[in-house]
Amino acid sequence: MKEIKLDEIDIKLIRTLQNDARTSLKEVARECNVSIDTIKNRYNILKKIGVIRGSTIVLNPKEIGQGNLVFFGIQIMHHYSDSVINLVKKIPGMYVVTKAIGRYDIEAIAILDNIEKIGATKNIIGDFQQVKNVDVDILVDKPLLCPRNFEF
Amino acid sequence: MPKEFRILTGDIMNLDEIDLAILDSLKKDARKSFRSIARSLKVSPDTISKRYERLREQGIIVGSTVVINPSKIGYSFITRFGINVKPAYASQVLEKIIQIPNVIVASKLVGSHDIIAISVIKNFKHLCELRNSILEMPYVEKVELGMWIETMELCPYYFLI
Repeated sequence: MKEIKLDEIDIKLIRTLQNDARTSLKEVARECNVSIDTIKNRYNILKKIGVIRGSTIVLNPKEIGQGNLVFFGIQIMHHYSDSVINLVKKIPGMYVVTKAIGRYDIEAIAILDNIEKIGATKNIIGDFQQVKNVDVDILVDKPLLCPRNFEF
Repeated sequence: MPKEFRILTGDIMNLDEIDLAILDSLKKDARKSFRSIARSLKVSPDTISKRYERLREQGIIVGSTVVINPSKIGYSFITRFGINVKPAYASQVLEKIIQIPNVIVASKLVGSHDIIAISVIKNFKHLCELRNSILEMPYVEKVELGMWIETMELCPYYFLI
């Protein structure tokens, strides 16, 4: 994969927006001691080359009554990962589905309302023909997100 | 955004249509101007800005951030760590894990592991170092890992990566 070289201004711009995506580019320009056009230009380039994929707000899952985040570790019979993945990703509530190397062949994370739904989802996955075993881990408390942990 | 999310939000928090529309809109693009949100909802920009402040004060919106593509800045893949610790020490270990650079999500678990940590990884050497640094922490008994390949993100912004 091609690596992109970022300079100090790029990194400062990213860091600032990671802390608060709504910071005005004018303010970033002032902090970096460069013109607003420079910052606008940098921001557009970072978006265009895909370093910045977008922006989002972080909601408090407790406040909005979201369900539980649940991790599924799925072991399957060899060579069937594509067909199983295609089935798993259609299950309601799935957030991330991935092929994996390690103890599990497929790993998935879903958001499910209650313990009944967790059980039902486990059964749906377990019922697929090529699936050997499904492990379930339920995330407790609020998961800690640390998007600022990237090293540039 | 999954459909369930909106229903739960409205029910529990007594949020009205405008609040939900603001959350929905900012979830997709946190930098969207209040003016353009206002225009699409046919209300005044002032209303949007007041609602936004209230949603922040109520702690429904915790913050906002840009989503970075890790593969563009030198990371090759994502790894999930399943960590087992000595009983009753999960919180203590979790606090240390979340401070490790490159770990982007971590949580306590109920199930076959006690803690899950998801990290962006630069290369194989980096993966080994990270695994070792977790293993060396006090009270950590076992670390199992899954390297993610061909990841499909059904809700792309969830992990903010």
